[in-house]
Amino acid sequence: MTAKFLSLTDSEYAIFISQLKQANERLNAFNFIDENKKSGKIISVKDNICVKGMPATASSKILQGYMPGFNATAVQRLENSGFSVIGKTNMDEFGFGSFGLNSEHPAKNPFNEEYVAGGSSSGSAVATALIKEHVSIAESTGGSISAPAAFCGVVGLTPTYGAISRYGLIDYASSLDKIGFIGKSADNLRDVMEKTVGSDPKDTTSLSNVISNKNPHKLYVIDNLVENIDESIKDRFEDLLAKLSAKDYEIEHVNVDYLEYSVPAYYILSMSEASTNLAKYQGFKYGFKVKDFSLNYNEFFMSARKQFGKEAKRRVILGTFIRSKSIKQRYYEKALAIRHAIIARMKKFLNDGFIIMPSMPIFTPKISEVSDISPVEAYSMDMLTVPPNLCGFPHMSFPYFYEKGMPLGAQIITDHFNDYSLLDFLSEWESGFKYKFKEEIG
Amino acid sequence: MKIGLEVHVALPTKTKLFCSDLAYENQEEPNSNVCPVCLGLPGAKPVLNQNALDISARIAKALNCEINEKTWFVRKVYFYPDLPKGYQITQLDGAIGIKGYVDLNGKKIGIRRVQIEEDPARIIREKDYSLIDFNRSGVPLNEIVTEPDITSLEELKNFIEELRSILYYQGVNINQELKTDLNISLAEKRVEVKNVTGVKNLISAAEYEIKRQSVLIKEGKKINAETRSYKEDSNETVSSREKETEEEYGFTFEPDLTFYDTTKLTIPKAVIASNIAKELADKNEYNEKTIRELILFNRRNLSLLTSISKEEFKKGVSLIEKFASFGIEDYSEQEFRKMLDKDVSSIEKEGFLQLLGRTNKSEKKADKTEIEAGIKEMLSSDKTLFDRGIKDEKAMNFMIGEVKEKYHITGKEAADFIKKVIKGMLNN
Ligand SMILES: [Zn+2]
Repeated sequence: MTAKFLSLTDSEYAIFISQLKQANERLNAFNFIDENKKSGKIISVKDNICVKGMPATASSKILQGYMPGFNATAVQRLENSGFSVIGKTNMDEFGFGSFGLNSEHPAKNPFNEEYVAGGSSSGSAVATALIKEHVSIAESTGGSISAPAAFCGVVGLTPTYGAISRYGLIDYASSLDKIGFIGKSADNLRDVMEKTVGSDPKDTTSLSNVISNKNPHKLYVIDNLVENIDESIKDRFEDLLAKLSAKDYEIEHVNVDYLEYSVPAYYILSMSEASTNLAKYQGFKYGFKVKDFSLNYNEFFMSARKQFGKEAKRRVILGTFIRSKSIKQRYYEKALAIRHAIIARMKKFLNDGFIIMPSMPIFTPKISEVSDISPVEAYSMDMLTVPPNLCGFPHMSFPYFYEKGMPLGAQIITDHFNDYSLLDFLSEWESGFKYKFKEEIG
Repeated sequence: MKIGLEVHVALPTKTKLFCSDLAYENQEEPNSNVCPVCLGLPGAKPVLNQNALDISARIAKALNCEINEKTWFVRKVYFYPDLPKGYQITQLDGAIGIKGYVDLNGKKIGIRRVQIEEDPARIIREKDYSLIDFNRSGVPLNEIVTEPDITSLEELKNFIEELRSILYYQGVNINQELKTDLNISLAEKRVEVKNVTGVKNLISAAEYEIKRQSVLIKEGKKINAETRSYKEDSNETVSSREKETEEEYGFTFEPDLTFYDTTKLTIPKAVIASNIAKELADKNEYNEKTIRELILFNRRNLSLLTSISKEEFKKGVSLIEKFASFGIEDYSEQEFRKMLDKDVSSIEKEGFLQLLGRTNKSEKKADKTEIEAGIKEMLSSDKTLFDRGIKDEKAMNFMIGEVKEKYHITGKEAADFIKKVIKGMLNN
């Protein structure tokens, strides 16, 4: 098999754009669609990643009108390889969310519009489900690729932290942010991955380590992590394990200490970093501009920062609290210690196997079911996606079952820099699995 | 009395601390040396200037600091219009240098920390509005934090002189205005005078505070722990009326950068000119103060005086003074050697120049037609210079400097001549 992407002739282009815009009115996959004719292979880009000459809002009002004059390194590398960006995809504001609802016009599930698309890379998952042979450049901090990929029946690949340059990514939590991909074929994902990985002089935290290929045939199931999820999800997951076991995978059940602390540790670290990364939005150089010059600096500043959505404000306030001198050791330093402890414990198993689990602890919820849940309930939905994200381990959510017409996703995790083995696993899985989509355009 | 300082000094690098914009050259046009990184645009990331790290390590070493094997950065979060990211990238626990000292004639003034940090932008205050020039945003600084070990005004002056000399020998531009925070307490309560610009103001601020606090003590009044600022026009410090809560900057690790290994850096032994002055004075049985004055801020003098024998020393000193008194700055070590063999004790400038073999050369070099041709070429090759030269004093001075350097000419007379030629050509 080889990679195959949608590319369009001049005459096809106008039709494609009008179909895409029509679908987008229902699904809100895109914040921005570029109608100019593209000659290359079509990709889309999450709206927190800079594409030269296109708006980059991260779905935030405070960035309304920001038009970066430079490409993110990942985008640049793909453009150099013949890809063209069709538009910028919807997301939770600054990546803050698991359902895609922290956006002015939330993206909707392509299988049923009453359901959430998942977040924060909601639009990237919807666009991938919607457009033929599509890959979307997305980003994950604590599960923002796996969650929407699982809910939208597509594959979400989150590479090792640092494998892909973050230059041009609008930061959420710099030590956790990873650019990755949402797609629906192992070959396509491998192709874009190969073209973007590698160190970048513009991003100090990018790494050049060879992405090796140990291909384990062992699957670890972490029982103490999976025990708290929806019972029916557990049943479907057991069926998946049975299938994989029939494909010669050896399944081993294990327990990993400290995992119950991974969600709190993740939120402590990510909010703390987010509250500093959002300090730059002050309403005078780019994006939303305060026009009332009679205000003094504090008033000016406050009226700009009012533009943040509720979840962004919550994370800035909590993050600032966590960083304060008297509190820092109690939370931040402990969270760092937890992170190290979990890395060490998971690495032990990743040495000779994958770790596998469902991607999400619940079935895809209806928008109405989750729009009013408490922040803590919402954060707990990340219990399965947070561990690999907190540790920077490469992981992938792939669809494995359709329950009443809605897809279910499972997540496999591998060791740092062993990213390609996830795609080998996927190729093997695809040989016996048929993706289903409600509609595909292109 | 206890005085501690936080001295900010700009580092001699070509480019800024985290991007490749020029740090000092071509700064006339506001906001011309800027990029997504130093403007703090969303998506941009800092990349450390290795040269700034090297220089900082050398400065820290020259201040007798321990060099942290791994050095790292933190974000200092506060909101001010000159701070484009809403935080300053600086150092704290992971600072490049810690636990050092400056030796003032046997008394050690502790250096708590040498930290690398970025300069904020420049605010230009107009009558009803302010402008921001981001050219300065991201210029590399060292903040040198002392222990409160300075105990008198005299010691403060000596410390500053010593520090500046040490920095001079690390290549730091010594003509820059040092920005200092002055902590000074005569009783228990600590008073901080923030953002004092220049050495002169620092000394007057300290003088004023010493007087103010002694009067309060004498009168039995209490001294408030507070932040004050120095007013240059009235030579006094005034309370900044900030609430006296502890500053909360929410310091956190800078995750866009990494840990930098300093064990592979080669750090040459620092030149401490005041120690050398002492050695030279002992060795040559010569007045230490005179030697200090000659070498504290003069690399060539230091090199000349350390290279001559005891027999030649006295003569060498007066020869250096002679060169200076005749306004000759650009002499070489060979020229110095040559003159050392001659008796120049009572010679006039003309004769001195003749002995030096310079008169003819410089006259020949100052050949009028040659200079005129050179100026013409300069003006025709740079249209903006031509345009700006007429009304812009700076451009004129720049051109005069260029011509003087090109033809090795000095003096006011020559400058006037060049100016006349340029003006003549501009008016044509
Ligand atoms: Zn710059």
